[in-house]
Amino acid sequence: MRPAWNTGRESLRARMSNPQQVAAAVPEAEMPPYMESFLAHLRLLIGVPFDYLVPDSRLLPDESIRFFYIDRSWTDRLVDGAIAVGKIGTREQAHHHAHHPAVCQQLDLTERGVRDLQRSRLTFLTMKAALAMDPANVITGFLLRSGAVSGWPHMDVRAYNRVLPRNYDPDAQKQFQLRTMRLERLSPGVLIALFEGVPQMVVCEEPHHGVQFGVHGSSGQFSVFRRGPDGTALGGKDVTIPVRFANPNVLGIAALRRKLAIQAPPLPGQTGSANFAVELLNLPWRQRFEGSGGRPKVMGSGAFVPFVAVAARVQEPALQALVKKVVL
Amino acid sequence: MSDPAPPPKGSMFLYDYATAPLPPDNYRLEAATNVTFDGGSPSLKNTIYFQVAGPRFTLPPDFVAGVFPPANGHGPFADSLAQIAIKRRTLPWERPLDKGKPIGPPSDGKGLPADYPAPWVGLLLFEEGEYTLLQNVPLENVVPADVFNRLQNPPNILCDAVEADESLVRAIVPSREELQLLAHVRSVNIEDRELNVEGSDGWFAVVVTNRVPNPGKKYRACLVSLEERSDLVLRDPPPTADSKPVRTVTAAPVRDVRFRLSTRQRILEPSPDLEFGKLVTVLPSKTRLVLLYSWQFTCEGVGTFYELMQNLDVGMMGRVQKPGQPALTDTAHLRLPLQDRGGTEEVVWYRGPLAPFQLTRDPLGPYHSADQARRATPETGAEDVSYAAAFEVGRLLAAADARLAQELMRWRRESFKQSARASTLSAVQKSIKLQLPATIQEQLHVPLPPVVAAGAISRCVSGSGPIADRYGLKAAGRTLGMNPKALTAAWGLASVAEAQTMLGGSSGATGLEVKPPAQTPRKNTTLETEAAHSAALTSLNNSRDRILSNVKVRTGGNQ
Repeated sequence: MRPAWNTGRESLRARMSNPQQVAAAVPEAEMPPYMESFLAHLRLLIGVPFDYLVPDSRLLPDESIRFFYIDRSWTDRLVDGAIAVGKIGTREQAHHHAHHPAVCQQLDLTERGVRDLQRSRLTFLTMKAALAMDPANVITGFLLRSGAVSGWPHMDVRAYNRVLPRNYDPDAQKQFQLRTMRLERLSPGVLIALFEGVPQMVVCEEPHHGVQFGVHGSSGQFSVFRRGPDGTALGGKDVTIPVRFANPNVLGIAALRRKLAIQAPPLPGQTGSANFAVELLNLPWRQRFEGSGGRPKVMGSGAFVPFVAVAARVQEPALQALVKKVVL
Repeated sequence: MSDPAPPPKGSMFLYDYATAPLPPDNYRLEAATNVTFDGGSPSLKNTIYFQVAGPRFTLPPDFVAGVFPPANGHGPFADSLAQIAIKRRTLPWERPLDKGKPIGPPSDGKGLPADYPAPWVGLLLFEEGEYTLLQNVPLENVVPADVFNRLQNPPNILCDAVEADESLVRAIVPSREELQLLAHVRSVNIEDRELNVEGSDGWFAVVVTNRVPNPGKKYRACLVSLEERSDLVLRDPPPTADSKPVRTVTAAPVRDVRFRLSTRQRILEPSPDLEFGKLVTVLPSKTRLVLLYSWQFTCEGVGTFYELMQNLDVGMMGRVQKPGQPALTDTAHLRLPLQDRGGTEEVVWYRGPLAPFQLTRDPLGPYHSADQARRATPETGAEDVSYAAAFEVGRLLAAADARLAQELMRWRRESFKQSARASTLSAVQKSIKLQLPATIQEQLHVPLPPVVAAGAISRCVSGSGPIADRYGLKAAGRTLGMNPKALTAAWGLASVAEAQTMLGGSSGATGLEVKPPAQTPRKNTTLETEAAHSAALTSLNNSRDRILSNVKVRTGGNQ
């Protein structure tokens, strides 16, 4: 019988002595999408038990916020451990050894898309095609344990690489914003946020969809500010609110609408609930944290005026079609 | 059709309402197809019944995106109006409020336009003690009989209900116009939003209450269904007046009403009149409302978003309130007791992935086992298990995921396959010269059998000639076709050098004119001349017949 072209022994020797294995660029050597996505999630500590993050509860007491840098070596070991599953012999070990640098580089990029995956806004492949290619950066973040997390779900969190003035417009300052890698509640009262880069200013905003309605009450008399159509305070004498005879804590909503209608303009015309809502708005609070080098400060920046727009009624055909889509 | 552009960061859009194009009801869909063909134009008809259903007597809790004041929250909410944000933006306008018995616009004619839809839900605020919650009550026992009729007698409905004094409910329930004003739709920017499990498109329907809580009291906000409750929802709200700074002036008229009723009850009691007697039994007049969702909050203490955020304990990870509790090193390592695999107790250092300062990334790697990542600290002699713990937790998380294990195997298998192929290729190339691309990557994707076959044949052909003629060039040169002289004779060339040039020989290739060999002369012919050639035509016909008969024999038929 002819000897085999290639024996297992030779092959193993060749593989062990040839560190390159199959080059990482060969399509077959790429990680399967599921594996890549799993490891990228691990990189952002998703699924890691809380005790591993905060080994002692006194490190994150009630009503506290703690900023941190992510220890990249720690997350690298986490990934090494995950790849160690099924690593039974020298063959797998040699394979991992050869592919480690490529895996590491790829995950540095893929981890940026994890938030999009978590929110199921993109599929894995579209996410990968759209990844930013700049080199890996420091990852920082904070843990917040507070009644504000459980009481005001979906607060807005932004980090900036410079300190911005009060009442800045978040839309106009987008270029200074750090990429948010993860923003998630770990438990009802604990929020974790991860950013790419070292922030100079972090803001937590009271959630906008929960922008509250409120009145100013003093010993039983209620009033509202006069506000323009975009929610800005106009100044001038506040509008007192009529109340029902039967129960003085119940506001006369219809009567208030008639009072407001007389003052339009500059107040918005009282054509419906949206314009009415503008007048009853309470300002949400934007909390700033400034400073760096291990000494973040809490800064009160005052309430800010959200830019409110009252859209035309839902009679717009575009919106109606959309509503249809939602309902069906 | 695309979404109306979402608002830019930091802004929100308010809409008056969002109506569903097909309100919940039973529908019949008739489809007719007109077909025209030879016989006439019949019409194919089909009828389908379908139902559009929506929440009616219960609201699944996951419809609720958020409430304010927060559920079970304590805080100074005395200036706030309770509100609920519902994920489905059309929900408040999905059902008619007063289809069975229209309530009508406000009598002063200053109401909203006639086509402005009225929501069927309202948010009512009850103080602790004013209400009773009932669970799983049959719907007939919740709403009055005529309302139940107008709801079209849905059978076997169990729902939750809130029960309160009728006078109180009348005092706080909004009028129809007020209901319209107290519900709107918001569209917010969700770019920087904390992750929400169900996901959200940034659209919310918001329902607001009309009652302001008093400080120091506990309240329950109840989202109730007011569908067909024309008995409670009025076209004009109860009379109002500007709120006065002194509250005692308008003291508790609610209780007055109740007191008056109860005195009348005493007066009426001796009356033998049956009708009045009935009235007596109803007198502690309570009314019930279908409860969709409710939550409690207490109006006291420090607890607004502002207060909470301003009073946070701010610091870098590793800052502790009392120094030494827990004991941390300046590198933020924590002492932990550990039982090692030998069973001995030892004290080790641990630091999680969250460090108070920037750390350099370990360039050694990969690690193949947790033990590889264990470190001893020279200062204390104790072990640092941080990275070993990270390795283990990664391994456990991955092992818990069956699919990942499969994918890992797939990842390796593909590489191993290609790597084995590379090994085989290099082994083969030791024996046979193969025509392969230059780089390994390209080599791996070449279909191998033809290449190997070509290589093997060329080796067979070349045989094992003498060392002096390893590539068989000389042997090849001896063949007749490679001999310039023979070629010169065969093609009638002008010189031997010309033949050498054509063979690719190098000598004197430049400046030498090469003439193509003369073509065999052949006279032009036409189809007519060919057709006239009867001998050739007969021969062609014969061969065609032969082929046909062959086919007949093979197929075994006679046709």
